[in-house]
Amino acid sequence: MVRQRQLIFMSFPMLIYVLVFAYFPIWGWLMAFQKYKPGFDIFDQKWVGFYQFRFLFEDESFIRVLRNTIAMSVITLVLSFVTAIGLALLLNEIKRTGIKRIIQTISYLPHFLSWIIVTGLVATSLSTQDGIVNIVLMKLHLIKEPILWLGEGKYFWGIVGASNVWKEVGWNTIIYLAAIASVSPSLYEAAEIDGAGRYRKMMHITLPGIKPVIVILLILNIGWILNGGGFEIQYFLGNGQVLDWSETIDIFVLKYGLKIGNYSLGVAAGIFKTVVSIVLLIIANSIAKRLGEERLI
Amino acid sequence: MGARARKVAFGLLMLIMVFSVVAAGCSSSNKNKDGSPSASQPASSSDTSAPTTVAIEPMTISVFLNVPGPIPTDNNRIYKKIKDELGVTLKEEYLVGDLEQKLGVMIAGGDYPDIISANVKLTAANAVLPLEDLIEQHAPNLKKHYEDVWNLIKDPDDGHIYWLPNFGVYQGDFKPTQHYGPAFFIQRAVLKEYNYPKFKTLDEYFKLIEDYQAKYPEIDGQPTIGFTALAFDWRDFGLRNAPQHLIGHPNDGGVVVDPVTNVAELFESTDIAKPYYKKLNEINSKGLMDKEAFAQNYDQYMAKIASGRVLGMFDQRWNFQQGEESLISQGKSERAYVGLPLVYDVNTTDYYLDRPVVNLNNGFGITVNADDPVKIIKVLDTLMTEKWQKLFYWGEEGIDYHVGDNGLYYRTPEQRKDQEDVTWKQANKADSFYGQMPKLEGNYPDGNADSPGNQPDEFFANLKDIDREVLQAYGYKVWTDFFSAPPPNRVSYPAWNIDLIEGSEARVSSQKMKDLALKYLPKAILTSPENFDSVWAEYGQQVSKANPEAYLNRVNEQLKWRQDNWGK
Repeated sequence: MVRQRQLIFMSFPMLIYVLVFAYFPIWGWLMAFQKYKPGFDIFDQKWVGFYQFRFLFEDESFIRVLRNTIAMSVITLVLSFVTAIGLALLLNEIKRTGIKRIIQTISYLPHFLSWIIVTGLVATSLSTQDGIVNIVLMKLHLIKEPILWLGEGKYFWGIVGASNVWKEVGWNTIIYLAAIASVSPSLYEAAEIDGAGRYRKMMHITLPGIKPVIVILLILNIGWILNGGGFEIQYFLGNGQVLDWSETIDIFVLKYGLKIGNYSLGVAAGIFKTVVSIVLLIIANSIAKRLGEERLI
Repeated sequence: MGARARKVAFGLLMLIMVFSVVAAGCSSSNKNKDGSPSASQPASSSDTSAPTTVAIEPMTISVFLNVPGPIPTDNNRIYKKIKDELGVTLKEEYLVGDLEQKLGVMIAGGDYPDIISANVKLTAANAVLPLEDLIEQHAPNLKKHYEDVWNLIKDPDDGHIYWLPNFGVYQGDFKPTQHYGPAFFIQRAVLKEYNYPKFKTLDEYFKLIEDYQAKYPEIDGQPTIGFTALAFDWRDFGLRNAPQHLIGHPNDGGVVVDPVTNVAELFESTDIAKPYYKKLNEINSKGLMDKEAFAQNYDQYMAKIASGRVLGMFDQRWNFQQGEESLISQGKSERAYVGLPLVYDVNTTDYYLDRPVVNLNNGFGITVNADDPVKIIKVLDTLMTEKWQKLFYWGEEGIDYHVGDNGLYYRTPEQRKDQEDVTWKQANKADSFYGQMPKLEGNYPDGNADSPGNQPDEFFANLKDIDREVLQAYGYKVWTDFFSAPPPNRVSYPAWNIDLIEGSEARVSSQKMKDLALKYLPKAILTSPENFDSVWAEYGQQVSKANPEAYLNRVNEQLKWRQDNWGK
């Protein structure tokens, strides 16, 4: 204790920061049990008990919205994990640093585009009029007439997943590349002497080597599962025809909470999401513990 | 540079930064101190009795305009005239950057100019003076101007008048030259192809489109689109609003209102709307409907319009104007559009063209910081006279326009050219300031229109050849001749700007009905004709589940309130 005095002292600013900005605002959760009107003190508001929660859960579209959120989240989560790890493994095999850098740079640049631009690109390339996707598919004779990608609900989740991969795969790869770099080269040398090829080394050294990182990231990401793989993408790409597949909790809250001035509903939904996230996080963490893996808590 | 020198330099730099932070903190708090007491001052000064005449003693009025430039030059003709004749120097500040942010800073510091563009934030912060007594006592011209709408421009919360609305109060005949509102639009090329037929019904409209598309399956190498609509984000009126017009009602948003009883009813999932969407379903099965219509975003819609291959759509002109302007600048004026007032039944009088309503929460207000509100209102009142009003819109006789033998004003081609020149306007016009001023709109007693753009002859002279050809073929002079002249507005008109109250059941139900419309209307249009009735029935059921009564009750309650309170 005494010997760590300086370290403890140094961590105080961070602790205060977290208390002020992460714990202190929690009292604002009171809003969820009120019919909050801006401009008045929080204690002068009308208390309505669980009305906001009942509104959320009793609305028949809520189940659908929850389904969409979880579905798109899981799709995005799985896809982004598989593609990012895959790309990291492949990149790791490229020995020419120049080419490796170029590929890496190109693949992470889309990360810096905002979703409004990306969804604009997606909408344009999926258009039936002159969208590149339909043109390519037509030229390959895979389809007879252009498909209205954004007009049919069944394609929507896939489009969200694919757009997410396109935008984020390079960025997500960086952390795995860093993890791979920390795997001891002597392991590879030993394997080589034993006659292991590229594929074997990948399977038995690289992957197990980055397993702790993968598990930790998975646990962290599971905490975000109710954020549905983003909010903007569904908001910008969604339209009336695909509403049943595109609407997520956040959009629902935006429409029935913020847009119509019922801020309390937004807070109630936020609380719901937080509680579910904490439960999921704990479950994932304990599973990791059982499996004897690295874990968060 | 040695290590020591670097350290010293770094230390100095830090010192400077610390100082500048401290200094900035001090100066801003000083400013606050200056600002707050003056905010309470003018309340007393407005009570003191004012000089009886508008003496020409020099005075400066500071103005904040909620729009960015163009900033007039120092020797601007109109500002000079104001200074010479009224003794008033206008010190204007134009918006730079974000308006909300600017207002936030102003309100936080209590640092207001003398007059300011309207905003509800300012009313909420008690930043502006109630004007009704000032107008009654010192501003006969303004009083006369607003007489008919006096109750209407009062703040519904406390009954005071805070803003002088800049648009929507008319005198004399109302006759605009261009219609910016809703209509069924059709390409001029289509009308030309069939020798400019006159027609009023949906059947005839779609027949033309069908024939034209069959004849020209491609325009500029791309497939022709018969009919499109936009239903993106808040721009959903292209899909939702048409039926109310087809039965001869004006644009009330989501309801149709009986003009006699003032009672609103829904039209969207009822038999009023059904024939229209059934027709769209029918044209879809013929391949005329743009299948992508309901999945496109605004940019895609605009690009489609600008490509010149959309033959028709239902929309409001201001919503697609940008695309149309692009068509014209590409030299494809024949692909631009003519708005038509279609109705279900030829015997119905169309009501697409409406008289603009007074736009509340717009125009100028006088802030609590103004030293001499009485003098300011007198100046504004003077600017309200015919002489000054004509100067703002028309300019000076002999320089900016001439008077014809019939007493009507006109411009020569050179004068018209001046009006399009930005630098000339900076030196000779006061457009930004006048934009926020109360205006005499409509027609002057001498028969001249409020502005050159609304003077039929002057408007006609400004047209392009293709425009003239279309109008002449129909025997019309202005675009609004296609529409029936609008009767005076119902006192409760329009229903679309009724405040549904934040967070209320009415808001929830209105949002639900919007979701349902955006989901079921495309479904009904794009389904095969034999399925139409079942989709429509399902839509009706879903709407009745969405608590439409809550929405209707609120609308009806407000319509009644308006009728009771907005009358003279």
